[in-house]
Amino acid sequence: MNRKLYARGALAAYVYLAPALVGLFLLTLVPVAAVIVISLTKWSVLQPPRFLGIANYLNIFSTDFYFVHSVLATLYFAIGAVVVGIVYSFTVATMLNRRIPGRGFWRSAFFVPYVLPAVATAVVWSWMYETDFGVFNFFVNSLGFHKVPWLQKSAYAVPSLIIMTVWGVGNLIVIFMAGLQNVPRSFLEAVEIDGGNAWHKFRHVTVPMMTPVIFFNFIISVITNLQVFVPAYALTSGGPGDSTLFMVFLIYREGFMRNNMGYACALSLVFFVFIALLTLLIFSTSRKWIFYAGE
Amino acid sequence: MRRLRNGSNIAVTIVVYVLGLLVLFPFFWMARSSFMSNIEINAYPPPILPRVWHLENYPYALTVFPFARYFLNTLTITVPSICGALMTATFAAYAFARLDFPLKRLWFTLVIGSMLMPGAVTIIPIFLGWTFLGLSNSYVPLIVPAFLGGGAFNIFLIRQFLMTIPRDLDEAATIDGAGSVRILFTILVPLITPVLLAVGMFTFILYWNDLLGPLIYISDQNRQTISQALAAFRSGYGTDWKSMMAAASMSILPCVALYLIGQRYFVEGIVLSGLKS
Repeated sequence: MNRKLYARGALAAYVYLAPALVGLFLLTLVPVAAVIVISLTKWSVLQPPRFLGIANYLNIFSTDFYFVHSVLATLYFAIGAVVVGIVYSFTVATMLNRRIPGRGFWRSAFFVPYVLPAVATAVVWSWMYETDFGVFNFFVNSLGFHKVPWLQKSAYAVPSLIIMTVWGVGNLIVIFMAGLQNVPRSFLEAVEIDGGNAWHKFRHVTVPMMTPVIFFNFIISVITNLQVFVPAYALTSGGPGDSTLFMVFLIYREGFMRNNMGYACALSLVFFVFIALLTLLIFSTSRKWIFYAGE
Repeated sequence: MRRLRNGSNIAVTIVVYVLGLLVLFPFFWMARSSFMSNIEINAYPPPILPRVWHLENYPYALTVFPFARYFLNTLTITVPSICGALMTATFAAYAFARLDFPLKRLWFTLVIGSMLMPGAVTIIPIFLGWTFLGLSNSYVPLIVPAFLGGGAFNIFLIRQFLMTIPRDLDEAATIDGAGSVRILFTILVPLITPVLLAVGMFTFILYWNDLLGPLIYISDQNRQTISQALAAFRSGYGTDWKSMMAAASMSILPCVALYLIGQRYFVEGIVLSGLKS
């Protein structure tokens, strides 16, 4: 291709890319740099910022017990929601992959919670979780157990929110189902010819062939669940006893309810580094357990 | 062998039906509660259906929860955002899928990498930026980002789809003298309609259901979105469950309707995002 033409093409490409690149700079790169700078100050917006050095960070790691509670709560929730969510969605997808009557209807039924406003479903769940009159405790009581203070006691709050979250993982189910349809039939038949049963097929063909899809779902669900916010804001306000004081809620509370912009930025940066390291760790171990048919 | 397989299929069918009914249960419970009086809602043991169907719960809920206004507010944010996301994500995806230019790999890595970037990390500087521009108490900060690339995920999705369309088509058009704008709009866009519909729906869901954004930028009660107003309603009228259930039902309805209309595209879009990387 001649040089002039290439230059014209490149110019056109940058015109097409301009909005996305402006977005990349103004919504990601510049804000990340700004988070670093602001995190070194004390700033309440009403008054001009005051330079503090690394005091905010020292505070986070030494005296701020909210931070410790928040990290533990977030990890507890995220690990629970990811593990239960993946197992649940994989199981449902495997079952929906069979030829059962009314499959189309049930596929929609399992998927639909995903598209609904999280606040609306949280309100409905909070009513079902209600300790004295809620329907869950009616069932619990009917089975002969004591009523469970689902959202009122710190020991139950996170598991309750995990159940509610797992209910909404329709997107994972759909991705798993699509993956299952790409598992080669001939491999499954080969196991049958060798005398293997359904478990052998599942364990030695389906699961290995599905590892790339499992990995994809794993990553998106780790990133989504670490950023949990709605239930902490709309249902529990971080309580009871900090048990649902998730990171994003803590950042929101420091920044927008208490106007500690500097401190909130320091928290944001710690949160960012934490997620980045975790993602790197997951990616670096992925080579060991993912099977790519092409390699 | 055949009998065994039929047996296990019956077992799977039963499990799916039971589990599926459990998944649908919250919808039933919400709808049923929205037609009860508050006394009946708090009855124990809970009745399965209302003894008297209180249809007037809905008009009453509208007096404390002006749904129409919140609906319009949310629409005011969502519709322009969808347009912006569709346009600018398509442009960027087209450049990444079809054009050749310096630093392409770098930009692509950065744009896709920003997908892994938690949105919560940057909310404070972005908020401060809008505050300094004097726009923090408006819809502008919620809409403008959609016009700046429309989200890395959407760019990635459209690019993946464009890659599956043979280049011969554009090359033939180039020989016939069509410029890149013509190629994009008259040849490629009609071919990628399914993915554009999927992106439109994802964007709808994202903006329609967002809570954090409106919370930060909109303080005026008359300008709140549905999600935001519902969260406020719960903390303000914490015990009026019948109105809350009516309000939740109304909030859910537009999303369910959209899903039922467009579920094919939703599913296709999700499948595309997960599998062709």
